[in-house]
Amino acid sequence: MNKTASVVIIGGGISGASIAYNLAKKGVKDIIVVEKKFLTSGSTGRCGAGIRMQWGTEMNCRLSKFSTEFYETANEVLEYEGDIEFKQGGYLIVAATEKEDEQFKKNVALQNSLGIPTVYLTPKEAKKIIPHMDETKIISATFCQKDGHLNPFHTTQAFANAAERLGVKFMKYTEVTGIKVENGKVVGVQTDKGFISTPVVVNAAGGYSKQIGEMAGVDIPVYAERHQILVTEPVNQMQDPMYMGFALNVYIQQTPHGSFIMGRSGENEPRDLRITSSWDFTEKMAKDACTLLPMLKDLRVVRQWAGLYTMSPDRQPIYSKAGNVEGFYMSTGFSGHGFMLGPVTGVVMSEMILGEKPSLPIEKLGLDRFEKGELLFEPSVV
Amino acid sequence: MRIKEHPILSFSKGRKVQFTFDGKAYEGYEGEPIAAALHAAGVMVLGHSHDKQRPRGFYCAIGNCSSCLMVVNNEPNVRTCTEPLKEGMVVETQKGKGDLR
Repeated sequence: MNKTASVVIIGGGISGASIAYNLAKKGVKDIIVVEKKFLTSGSTGRCGAGIRMQWGTEMNCRLSKFSTEFYETANEVLEYEGDIEFKQGGYLIVAATEKEDEQFKKNVALQNSLGIPTVYLTPKEAKKIIPHMDETKIISATFCQKDGHLNPFHTTQAFANAAERLGVKFMKYTEVTGIKVENGKVVGVQTDKGFISTPVVVNAAGGYSKQIGEMAGVDIPVYAERHQILVTEPVNQMQDPMYMGFALNVYIQQTPHGSFIMGRSGENEPRDLRITSSWDFTEKMAKDACTLLPMLKDLRVVRQWAGLYTMSPDRQPIYSKAGNVEGFYMSTGFSGHGFMLGPVTGVVMSEMILGEKPSLPIEKLGLDRFEKGELLFEPSVV
Repeated sequence: MRIKEHPILSFSKGRKVQFTFDGKAYEGYEGEPIAAALHAAGVMVLGHSHDKQRPRGFYCAIGNCSSCLMVVNNEPNVRTCTEPLKEGMVVETQKGKGDLR
């Protein structure tokens, strides 16, 4: 059945749901979100779902602070009947090299100057926060109590329900097969359930955003890389903060349910949209976890899974309109941080689409920065 | 009632051994599942549900359902319906989801 929309958002993850909600809140009617499977079936439902304000650039600190403050009140603001399970147990980010330690001192000064309450800790002080850690493996740590993690399924549902109440239509199990462009302008989206006429398309397709771009003739320099996570059986609460190391290449958190969720970046992970699991990950992840947090050796692994990081050349998001196709917008390239930036994504993309002045510092995140060679640098990424 | 034949697990009746459950002395046969020994001794409640604290007993008997998770020799979340009984085991009712010690 053919339809007409004012905006078609491709992707039913945190980005798509947040953009839909923010556009609808600003009064836009006839918004359709097209999702290939079910909400959160892509990267959102597979992510570690952490959120931190501890970054090394002012822009990222400001953006993540906005997200954190939004999530603190999201249950009420989105009038969600469930709970997004935002646990602000903090992030304990550990330094394992002198270089990291030096960088962390600078980061803390920057973060404090922006109102982010991070503290710099000795290994002994860090051990007070996570008593089961082997503090001899680290040089120092930084800790921000307001960082944390939340449930990605509930959070996306909260945005989607609020959007639906404002009239947004979600077409699930609907696959985009083409984007129709005439005279340099978007005119519609072809799906396996019919054609949708629309002047505006938003590419929020995560790992598939490169392919969606190609359908419109827009070259987006991103690739999807597999990242894996494992989850253990639950035990009573014993670890409040996320334990994270960049040089150590690890993050380990305990969910409110009691299970531990942990991940690391693999070497030579496939870049072909594969989301299979590997034994290599299980082995290395378990070994790292047991070395850094030795008590976890008695935990059984329940399962593991994989999702896609949409990697951009500078590992920073792309919030942009296409230079060559009018009406084509994209929020992609989050490089593993799309979930935590969800609230930001909705606000800045809705402002961009409506031609409003951006209320957050995203001017440097346009697609044209790659052509101009104006890549951004963020020192604090896994 | 004592489980002597199991449709999935195979275990032979071993020698009589002593173990404790929540501090009290019990007897069972070496090699039989811990839960089988407890059941034979009249212990029907092996744990409690997390949300409503309802009693949970012997259920799937193949290590799937989490109904029989107990603390054994200080290790939480042991599936007592499949774990073989050994001399001197210290079996305890698990509180909540168990603590790593």
